[in-house]
Amino acid sequence: MRPGKSDRIIKEMRKIENAEKISVVAGEYDIVVRVHVKTLEKLLKVTDKLQLIDGVKKTTTQVIEKEIAL
Amino acid sequence: MRIRKKYLFYALAFTSAIIAAGVSAIDATISALYIPNVWAFAFSCFIVGTVISLMIVLVFSIPLSRKESLGSKIIDPSFKRVRLVRKKELKLHVIAGAGNAVLTLGYLSLLSILGDPSTVLPFSQIVILYLVIIESVTEKNMPTISEIQSSIIVTFGAILVSISLTGSISLEALAIVFLVINPAWVVFSIYQRKLKLLKIDNRPNDSLNIRLWNVIFACIFTTALLLVSDFFMGTGHLIEGITASIEHFDWVALTMGITFFSYVFYIRALGIGRASVTQAVRASTVLFAIPFSLLISYFNIIPPFSTNPVMILIKTIGTILVVLGIISFALAMMKAYVFINVKPGYPIEETMKNLWNIRGVTHVTATAGKYDFIIKIRIRTLVKGYEKIIQKLEEIEAIKKFKWESVLKEWEEI
Repeated sequence: MRPGKSDRIIKEMRKIENAEKISVVAGEYDIVVRVHVKTLEKLLKVTDKLQLIDGVKKTTTQVIEKEIAL
Repeated sequence: MRIRKKYLFYALAFTSAIIAAGVSAIDATISALYIPNVWAFAFSCFIVGTVISLMIVLVFSIPLSRKESLGSKIIDPSFKRVRLVRKKELKLHVIAGAGNAVLTLGYLSLLSILGDPSTVLPFSQIVILYLVIIESVTEKNMPTISEIQSSIIVTFGAILVSISLTGSISLEALAIVFLVINPAWVVFSIYQRKLKLLKIDNRPNDSLNIRLWNVIFACIFTTALLLVSDFFMGTGHLIEGITASIEHFDWVALTMGITFFSYVFYIRALGIGRASVTQAVRASTVLFAIPFSLLISYFNIIPPFSTNPVMILIKTIGTILVVLGIISFALAMMKAYVFINVKPGYPIEETMKNLWNIRGVTHVTATAGKYDFIIKIRIRTLVKGYEKIIQKLEEIEAIKKFKWESVLKEWEEI
């Protein structure tokens, strides 16, 4: 994302319906958003909404195939 | 609603603690004035508790829309309606119910010996020490020095607070604390958390049904225990319990109704945080119990408090230690994501298992896209992150490269 806009970007992201978890991270990326959708078409809508937020420069999508959690 | 998860966690755990302190004052009143027989009181708690809990859950089952009920709207979003126990829950409910039954018997025995709730409640906080040990075994999470320090501070603080203001400690009470209450609380707490983490019909298990069924199973366990005890010892606790339930239904219903909400909030907090951290926050009940004890002491239900400055000083130091222990316990925690690429020719399942076996790893996710795996990590310190995680990742042959991203702040859908 573009510097100086993090607060507003996060505020916009928190409005996205299917976003389960939003983590601000330190490293190559700035924000990790975990999304829960029923179809890939809905995933497209979410990524679209993310990219439309003013200040978001680039997004990378990883589709979960399998998960183990505590 | 999307809020900082930790705010909800603290709100739930503190509310549960305040309610628990109030309940203990009501319990002390019932024990002193109406039902002095501990066995009969415990049994009546579960008989009346079953009726009251069922009524509450039925009210919360009232549908508001096709997807939403009253309970899901105001108490727990995972709740839909009252339901029967599923097969996969049965074993967990039997163990948690037995834990609750033994815990209640121990707690009421202690209350009848000591009388003062502000003296009884701190004793049950020593459970934090047991939980840290159990978590280190069950959740592949070795306790850090800060965790051990905090647990010991809370334990000693609780012991100091629990020295009654007359300055005496009963050996019988100590035996009940260490051999009955705390082990039973550990079993109860761990299995309630296991139940909360289960998925029922692809939804997280709800705290209202968990509490209802816990009371029912605790009632069954207590009935069996009393039947055996009455048969071999020739006592009549079972009949006394039933009589007490009828004669003092209003008082027991009051305590069990309020307890229901205390536990529902506690179970929800358990589903969010680790058992030991939840317990640490809930330990604040020690503080909240003091005004309630003063209140019932004012009405001469329990003996009046001593004004001896040494005893007041000991109680104050103990309270400060418990609070300090809680704060240091709850604050020291960091999370990170690690994005991983693997080399071709290594089975995915095996790599996933190797990643999962690293202590501190809470999620392993196999993904399609730029990376092959994303793992989530929860650790106390960055040093531990290097020693326990990075070194272990480097040992896994299948890993080509990885990227560490520390989490600075997080929001989560509850």
